[in-house]
Amino acid sequence: MKPRPPTLRDKRRYILCAVDPVHRRHEPRRMYYAIQNAVTSLWGDHGSAKIQMAVVGGDEGYVIVRCIRGTEDLLEAAIATVTGLDGERVALHPVAVSGTIRALRRRMRPAPPVRMMDEIEIDGRTVTPCAYSRQKVDLFAKGIKNQESLYFTHDDMEES
Amino acid sequence: MKRTDSCVHPYPAGDTSLRRFALEAKTLGYDAIVCVGGAESGMIHGVRVMTGIVIREPSMNAVISRIKRCRSDVDIVMVGAGDAAFNRAALAYRGVDLLCNLFAAQKKAFDHVAAKNAAENGIAIDISLHPLIHQSGGARQRALGMYADILRLHRRYGFRLTLSSGAYSYLDLRSVREVIRLCSLFGMEKDEITRALSTVEHLACPPEPVEVVP
Repeated sequence: MKPRPPTLRDKRRYILCAVDPVHRRHEPRRMYYAIQNAVTSLWGDHGSAKIQMAVVGGDEGYVIVRCIRGTEDLLEAAIATVTGLDGERVALHPVAVSGTIRALRRRMRPAPPVRMMDEIEIDGRTVTPCAYSRQKVDLFAKGIKNQESLYFTHDDMEES
Repeated sequence: MKRTDSCVHPYPAGDTSLRRFALEAKTLGYDAIVCVGGAESGMIHGVRVMTGIVIREPSMNAVISRIKRCRSDVDIVMVGAGDAAFNRAALAYRGVDLLCNLFAAQKKAFDHVAAKNAAENGIAIDISLHPLIHQSGGARQRALGMYADILRLHRRYGFRLTLSSGAYSYLDLRSVREVIRLCSLFGMEKDEITRALSTVEHLACPPEPVEVVP
């Protein structure tokens, strides 16, 4: 199939989004469905067709999303309303917008190493701490239906 | 100008500790946060942490007695919105700093009389981003309509606005860039958003007349 001449091609922009929690990996397809649902819920079918969102890749802790030029603000507003993915809590924070994926990859920082620690007890619950970055500690407790998470720092752990 | 999230709920109400909230807020571009239910205030990880309380009482008398009991213990006093008469009375009482949760109130709960009271008494109106992020369909549409109406009254009467995430988890926090995008959904301009983010700084340290101390 012959490609379109450059003057007739859709002009696109790429948005780099930071994914929280950093250490959880998500399938690009699931990420696409989550963002697409948010876009459709906020802007409707017409807005969604204007934006033409697509998940084009990413790395641990980041995802790159594509849209039509001029609709970056609309897509960023919709990305801010994404709260869950695969039944887990997630947050996406738009970091940068660029015309090329290469420029966005240069802005990606490597994910901090994760260190699992021994189980401890907090407020009568047995939790498994997972330390990463200088101060952040995520605590995971096995709940009745699914895993419960608490988010602390090293200073909180020393106090408790 | 300090950028402040005017309502977060740290552990045990939420799943994120106060220090973790401060750390994440710093990353997202905030200079201060107001913690409801937090015990300590001060500087944590370069973020100013203020204590706040949300008072939800059925009558104004109960609100006034609670404010008198807790005024000295917290930095910011917030009152949960009720019906139109309650809101007018709350905004006429100078002990209140913020009127919050208007998205959960009735459609005509905040009218031009309440707006005038808020402007005269220097009480701010809180716009919570929680319904815009976590709700959809009719609930989100109602919240957007309510906030657009509040914005119209703000431009007419000049009362202060604040912005809050209502976060129970650090995953509910949104960066300043995302706040600008979300607030543009109901027509708020960038300079209005910047002023709203710095309002809590003025509420916590109101300007006082100069006193000569011998």
